[in-house]
Amino acid sequence: MIDRGGSEALDTCVHCGFCLQACPTFLATGDEADSPRGRIDLMRALETGELAPDDPALRLHLDRCLGCRGCEPVCPSGVGYGRGIEAARAMLATRRRPPALARAALRALTSPGPSRIVYALARMLRATGIPRRLAGWGRFRFAMGMLAATRPTRNAKRGTRNTRAAASSAFRVPTSALLFRGCVMDGLFSHVHDATVRTLGVNGWAVGETPGQVCCGALHAHAGLREEARLLARANVAAFGEGDVPIVVNSAGCGAMLKEYGHLIGAAGFAARVRDVTELLTAGGGPRPGAPVDVQVAYDPPCHLLHAQRIADEPLRVLGAIPVLRIVSLPDAAQCCGSAGLFTLLQPAMSRAVLAPKLASLRTAAPQVVATGNPGCVMQLGAGLAASGLSAAVRHPVELLDESYGAAGYYA
Amino acid sequence: MITAGLVEALTGIVGARHVRTAPAERLTYARDGLPTHRRVPAVVVLPGSRDELAAVVRLLAAHDVPFVPRGAGTGLSGGALADGAAVLLVLTRLNRILSLDPSNRVAVVEPGVVNARLSAAAAPHGLHYAPDPSSQTACTIGGNVAENAGGPHCLKYGVTAQHVLALEVVLADGRVVELGSPSGEPWGPDMVGLFVGSEGNFGIATRIAVRLLPQPRAVRTLLAAFASLRAAGEAVSAVIASGIVPAALEMMDQSCIRAVEDSVYAAGYPRDAAAVLLVELDGHSDDAVVAETETVHGLLSAHGAASIRVAADARERERLWQGRKKAFGAMGRLSRDLVVQDAVVPRSALPEVLEAIGRIAATYQLTVSNVFHAGDGNLHPNISFDARVPGLRTRVDAASTEIMEACVAAGGTITGEHGVGLDKLRYMPLIFDAESLAAMRAVRRVWDPEERVNPGKVVPVHACREWSGLRIADRGLRIEQQARSPAQSAIDNPQSAIAPRGAR
Amino acid sequence: MSLLDRVRALLGDDAVEIASGPDAVPRVAPASPDAVALLLGTARQEGWRVRLEGAGTWLPADAPADLALTTRRLDRIPAVEPQDLSATAEAGIGCDLLRQQLADHGTWLALDPPGLAGRTLGSVVATATAGPLRHGFGPVRDHVLGVTFVTGDGRLVQSGGRVVKNVAGYDLTKLEAGGFGAFGVIVLVHLRLRALPRADQTLVLEGTREDLTQVAEDVAAAGLQPAALELMSPALARRDGWALAVRLAGSAALVAAEEAGLRGASGGRFTALRAEEAHGFWMRAAESFATRPITFRTGGLPDSSDELLDLLQHQVGDEWVSASPGVGAIRWAGDTTVDRLRRLRRTLAGLEVPLTLERAPWPIRSAVGHFGAYREGVGPLVAGLRRTFDPGEAFVVAVEGSD
Ligand SMILES: Cc1cc2nc3c(=O)[nH]c(=O)nc-3n(C[C@H](O)[C@H](O)[C@H](O)COP(=O)(O)OP(=O)(O)OC[C@H]3O[C@@H](n4cnc5c(N)ncnc54)[C@H](O)[C@@H]3O)c2cc1C
Ligand SMILES: Cc1cc2nc3c(=O)[nH]c(=O)nc-3n(C[C@H](O)[C@H](O)[C@H](O)COP(=O)(O)OP(=O)(O)OC[C@H]3O[C@@H](n4cnc5c(N)ncnc54)[C@H](O)[C@@H]3O)c2cc1C
Ligand code: SF4
Ligand code: SF4
Repeated sequence: MIDRGGSEALDTCVHCGFCLQACPTFLATGDEADSPRGRIDLMRALETGELAPDDPALRLHLDRCLGCRGCEPVCPSGVGYGRGIEAARAMLATRRRPPALARAALRALTSPGPSRIVYALARMLRATGIPRRLAGWGRFRFAMGMLAATRPTRNAKRGTRNTRAAASSAFRVPTSALLFRGCVMDGLFSHVHDATVRTLGVNGWAVGETPGQVCCGALHAHAGLREEARLLARANVAAFGEGDVPIVVNSAGCGAMLKEYGHLIGAAGFAARVRDVTELLTAGGGPRPGAPVDVQVAYDPPCHLLHAQRIADEPLRVLGAIPVLRIVSLPDAAQCCGSAGLFTLLQPAMSRAVLAPKLASLRTAAPQVVATGNPGCVMQLGAGLAASGLSAAVRHPVELLDESYGAAGYYA
Repeated sequence: MITAGLVEALTGIVGARHVRTAPAERLTYARDGLPTHRRVPAVVVLPGSRDELAAVVRLLAAHDVPFVPRGAGTGLSGGALADGAAVLLVLTRLNRILSLDPSNRVAVVEPGVVNARLSAAAAPHGLHYAPDPSSQTACTIGGNVAENAGGPHCLKYGVTAQHVLALEVVLADGRVVELGSPSGEPWGPDMVGLFVGSEGNFGIATRIAVRLLPQPRAVRTLLAAFASLRAAGEAVSAVIASGIVPAALEMMDQSCIRAVEDSVYAAGYPRDAAAVLLVELDGHSDDAVVAETETVHGLLSAHGAASIRVAADARERERLWQGRKKAFGAMGRLSRDLVVQDAVVPRSALPEVLEAIGRIAATYQLTVSNVFHAGDGNLHPNISFDARVPGLRTRVDAASTEIMEACVAAGGTITGEHGVGLDKLRYMPLIFDAESLAAMRAVRRVWDPEERVNPGKVVPVHACREWSGLRIADRGLRIEQQARSPAQSAIDNPQSAIAPRGAR
Repeated sequence: MSLLDRVRALLGDDAVEIASGPDAVPRVAPASPDAVALLLGTARQEGWRVRLEGAGTWLPADAPADLALTTRRLDRIPAVEPQDLSATAEAGIGCDLLRQQLADHGTWLALDPPGLAGRTLGSVVATATAGPLRHGFGPVRDHVLGVTFVTGDGRLVQSGGRVVKNVAGYDLTKLEAGGFGAFGVIVLVHLRLRALPRADQTLVLEGTREDLTQVAEDVAAAGLQPAALELMSPALARRDGWALAVRLAGSAALVAAEEAGLRGASGGRFTALRAEEAHGFWMRAAESFATRPITFRTGGLPDSSDELLDLLQHQVGDEWVSASPGVGAIRWAGDTTVDRLRRLRRTLAGLEVPLTLERAPWPIRSAVGHFGAYREGVGPLVAGLRRTFDPGEAFVVAVEGSD
C-alpha cells in the first residue's frame, strides 16, 4: 500500500451532500467550491493530478476552509475530513510556502523565545485598556478586540495563583494529572490555567506541571507545515514521558491536536491520555456544585471540542454545577465562529462572514456571558461582540466554575 | 456559444464573485448525489435574486446558450449536471422564506430554501412542511418541486405535488409567469401540477407557495425485526390492507442495518435481523393512535415479527429516524462506490420482487442493500461496488437494468421519487411507448421550444438528433450542427411521432 | 360517404346512435380506447368537430358539433387490487357502479363529486369536481395515479402508472385532470383507493352562517381532521337554517376520538345521523347541484371563506352553496347571467381567487368559458398545450370563453 498521508480518509465520500448545511463557509457563500463535498472533490483532483497544487482556485477554496470539522459529525459515511484537509494542505505546502503573514504569526505566537516577548508586550498593552477602546471591525481594530477579549474578568482573579490547597478537599482521593500549557494559552490565558488547576483540585485532581513541553503544533498542521508539527509533537511526547497519568488540556484546539498524535507520529499511547478539562471535571459524577452565580450564559461549543473531540455534554455539565446560573440556547450553536486558528488573520473576510450569523443570534439571545473553551473562539467572539457594541463577556467554562468555587469558600 | 463577452455580461448582472469559470471551481459542480455521472459545466452562475436570475436567463436566451438549474445537488439521477456547452445556474443564494402565514397554513419560499429549514421555521407555529425526503437537511424546496420529491411520511401526507399551491417560474426565454393561486385551486388547467416533477425542463421555479400541516399531536413509532425479507414484505401488505394509514412504513435489510449501525447515526437496529420495518402512526388523538398502534402491533406479530420495539420517547423516535434517513450515506462504508436505485412496485408484489432482486444480486455477485419506502412500494435497491475494479461497472449496469425490468414486469415503474434525469433515460422505453414519450417531449417544447433548459434529460432522444432534428423541422436551420456525443439513450428516434405534424 | 357511414365503417354499426336531443347530433360510442383513437384520427383528417360526453348527466349535451363522442361503452373495470389499494377503470364507468365494485373488494374511492350517481368516472376526472370529501382527501388529482387519453388527432398517450408513487416523465395526468377534455379524451384511469372505512359517521349542526363559520374554525383549531367539514345553504341541506355537516371516517377508534373531539370543540351541539340518513343527506346534496342550470367553484384561502360567501350572496345569491371552509373551496349552483358571472370572476380575480365554471348551458359556457382569462404569460402556454393535444381543434370545449 502506498502511504496516501491521510487522503484515504476521504474515500468513503458518496457525494450525498449531508455536510453542506453544516459548513459555515458554504452557508456564507452558497458555493459548492466552499463546501466540504466540493473541497473533497478538489482534494481528490489534487491527489490524482487532475488539478495542480498551484492552481489558484483550488488554493483559494482550500484556504477558505476553517478546518472546523463541522462536516464530520454529520457525515453518515464517516469521512475523515480533518485528516484529508491536513494531508492536502501538507501537499500544497510542499509546493508553496505558507503566506508570510502565517509564518510570521506562527513564529511570534508559538516559538518559545520570540513568543515570550510578544506575549509580554501584549499583556502590557492589554493592561493599558487601550485595545478595548479600539476594538472594532477593520483588521487592526478587530485584532485589538481579540487581544482585549483575553483579559481576565476582575472577580476571576480572586483566589491564589496555582493554589493546590483545595486539593485537600475530602471530595475525592487526589489523583494526579498533568497540565498542558500550550503557547497562546500560556501567554495570554494563564488565568484559565489557574482556574483549571483550582477547580480540578476541588474535584480531587492533583494537577502537576511538566517542564519541556512546547506548542501542540495545531496551527502548523493547519497551515500544512506537517514536519514542524511532527517536531513539536515529538518534543511533547518526550516531555510528558511514559505512563498513564492523564494530560489535561483546556484549549479545545490543542486537545484535538494532541489526540491526533497517534495519526501524526504514531504516538497512540500519548493520545489516549489526553483529556479536556471538562472531561476530567465530569468524571465520576462531578463536578462538585459551587456557590450560586447569578448570570445568564450562552454556551458556544468550540468546533475542536464538539466536532473534533465529540465532547458535547461535559461543558454543559460543568456549567450545570453552578447554582442559579441560567443557560440560554443559541440556534445553530454548533456552527463555527470563524476563528479557526490563524484563519481569522488570513481570511478576514470569510472569517467575518462566518461570524456574522453567530453575532446575530447572540444579539437576540442577549446573554451576559458567552462561555467557550478555546482561546481562538474567546478572542474571535470577544472581538466580534465588542465591535458590534454588545456587552457580553466571553469566558472559559472553568473560569465560571472557578468563580463559583471561590464564592463557595472552597479555596479559603 | 459561450464567449468571453457572455461571461463578462453575466458578471455584469450578478457580480464577479458569483460567476465561476476556473476549472477547479467548475469541477466541484460536476456531480450530484449520484456520483456515477460526471459533467463539468462551462460556467457556474450564482444569482442573488429572482431579477438577477431572470436577467441571466434572458441573456442566455439571446445567446442561444442552454442552462441547467441546480439546487443543493443532492439529486439522485444526474439531473443537476450541465456539460461543457451549458451554464449551470446555482440557486443556493435564493434562500429566503418570503412569508409564513400560520392561519392559512401557507408559506412562500425562494427555491434555495433547504427543506428542513422550512419545517424549522414553521415549528414555532405548531406546523411543518410534510414532504420529508431523507435528504431534507440538505436538499432545496426548488429541487423537491423539480423532482416531485417524496419521503417516508409521504405515505400518509402525500408527495411534493400535493403540497405545492402556486409557483412563480422563469421560463426559458426569461419571461416570468405565475402559476396556480394562493389556495392551490388551479387557475385554468393545473399548470402547477404539470410543472412539479418536470426536472427543470419547463423553467426555473423562483417562488414556491407551499401548504403547511399541523404537527401531529400523538405519535407512535414501532421497530419490528423479521427473519426474512419475504415475511417483512408480507407484513407490509397486511398493514396496508388493514385500512390503517401509517404516517410512514419503511423497510431496511440486513446489509443496510449494519451499515447504519456502524455509522454515527447508529440507532440500535438489531444487527442480526434479515429486515426491519419502521412504522409510524400519528394523529390528533392519542387514544386513536394507541388503538391503531395496537392493531399494527398485532398484524406485525401475526406476520412473524421476531421482536417489536415501540420508541419510548421523542428522543428514541428521532434516533430511529436518523438511522433510516442517513442510510444512503452510511452505505458509503460498504465500499467506494454506490449506485442508488429507485423503482416502485405494487405493494403486494414486494415479497416476490425483493426475492428477484436477491437473485439478480447473486447472479452478478454484487452487494445489494435495500432501504425503502415500503408502504408505497417504493424500492431503493442500492448496489455497492468499487469502480476501480475492471469490468465491475458493466456488471452493475447490467444488474441495474435487470432489477428495473423485474419491477416493471411486476406492474411497477422505474422511478418513484428520484426522477429520470440522465440516469434513467435508458429505462423510459420500458414503461412508455414512443407515442407517449413524444407527447411528453411536445409538452416540454411548449414551455421551452428550443429545449435549452436542462437539455438531454427526462425524455430519451438521441442527443444530436434532438437538437438538430427539431430545429430543422421548426426553424429550417442548423442542418450542419455537428453531432454531439450520444447520450445514454436506448430508444432510437421517438421524435418521429411528433415531428412533422402536418405530414400526418 | 356521409359522416355516419364513415363512422359505421370504422367502428361498426352498434357504435352509432342518433341523438334524440334537439340538435340531433349523431352520437358515437366507441367500445375501446383504440376505437376512440381511430375515430379521432379520422375526425382530424375530415375536420369534424367533436363534443365529448360521458353519461350526459352533468354538462348539458348542447355544444355545437358534427358528432358527439360518448365514453359510455368504455365501462370496464379491468383491475381492482385491494392489497395495493389501487384500481384501473375505463372512463365511461358510472360512479355508482364503480363504487359498488370497489366496495365488494373492501375498498373505497374517497371522492363524492356533485351530480347524479351515474356520472362517469371520466367526467369527474376531466372536470376535477371534488365534493365535500376534498376536505380530508384532497382534490381529484390526488386520487388519480395515471390516465390513458386520446388526443384530438387520434394518438393514444399514457401518463403516470398504476403504482402509488411515480415520477417517470412529465406528469401529463395533471393536465387531463381538470382539463375539461380540451387536452384529450380520457379513456382509462388508474385510481388510488382507500380501504373501506370501518366506521363512517356524519354529524350535522344547524344554525346561522356566522355561527357555523365560527364552529368550523373551532373544529379546525382543535386540530381535528374530519373527512368532510361542509357548510351548506338551507336549500342544499334541506334544513331550515344553514348546516355544518361533518363526516368522520376511518378506524372505529379514530372516529370515536374525533367525535369526542368534535363535541368538545362545539359544546356538544352536533346531531349524529344514522347510516341511511347520512347516505341520503350527502346524496341529495350532491344531486341538487345537477338540478340547477349553472354551477361553478372557487378556491380561496381558508380565512377568506366567509368573505367570499358574502360576495357570492351579494352578486349571485347564495341559495345553493356548499363550502369547505377548511380548504377554502366553495361550490355554487343556481341561475344567473353571463354578465354577472363575468363581473364576479373579475372581482374574484382581484382577490387572487380563481372561478371555474363547472357547468352551464352552451351559450353561457361559450361566453364565460370554464376558465376565462389566464394570468399574464400563461395564455400562450395553455394555447400551446391545446395545439399539442388537439392540433386540428377537433374538441368543442369552451375553455377560455369569449370575454
Ligand atoms: C462599518 C463596518 C461594519 C461591519 N459590520 C460587520 C458585520 O456586521 N458582520 C461581519 O461579519 N463583518 C462586518 N464587518 C467586517 C467586514 O465585512 C469585513 O472586514 C470585510 O468583509 C472585509 O472586506 P474585503 O473587502 O476583504 O472582503 P471581500 O473579499 O470584498 O468580501 C466581502 C464579503 O463577501 C464574502 N464572500 C467572498 N466570496 C464570496 C462568494 N463567492 N459568495 C458570497 N460571499 C463571498 C466574504 O466572505 C466577505 O464577507 C464590518 C466592517 C465595517 C467597516
Ligand atoms: C442521501 C439522500 C437521500 C435522499 N432521499 C430522498 C427521498 O427520501 N425522497 C426523494 O424524493 N428524494 C431523495 N433524494 C434525492 C434528492 O434529495 C431529491 O431529488 C431532491 O429533491 C433534490 O433536491 P436538490 O435541491 O438537491 O436538487 P438538485 O439535485 O440540485 O436538482 C435536482 C433537479 O432539479 C432541478 N432543479 C433544481 N432547482 C430547481 C428549480 N428551482 N426550478 C426548476 N428546476 C430545479 C435540477 O435541474 C435537477 O434536474 C435523496 C438524496 C440523497 C443524496
Ligand atoms: S456528508 Fe460525508 S459522504 Fe456525504 S458528501 Fe459530505 S463528506 Fe461526502
Ligand atoms: S472543516 Fe468546517 S469549513 Fe472546512 S469544509 Fe468542514 S465544515 Fe466547512
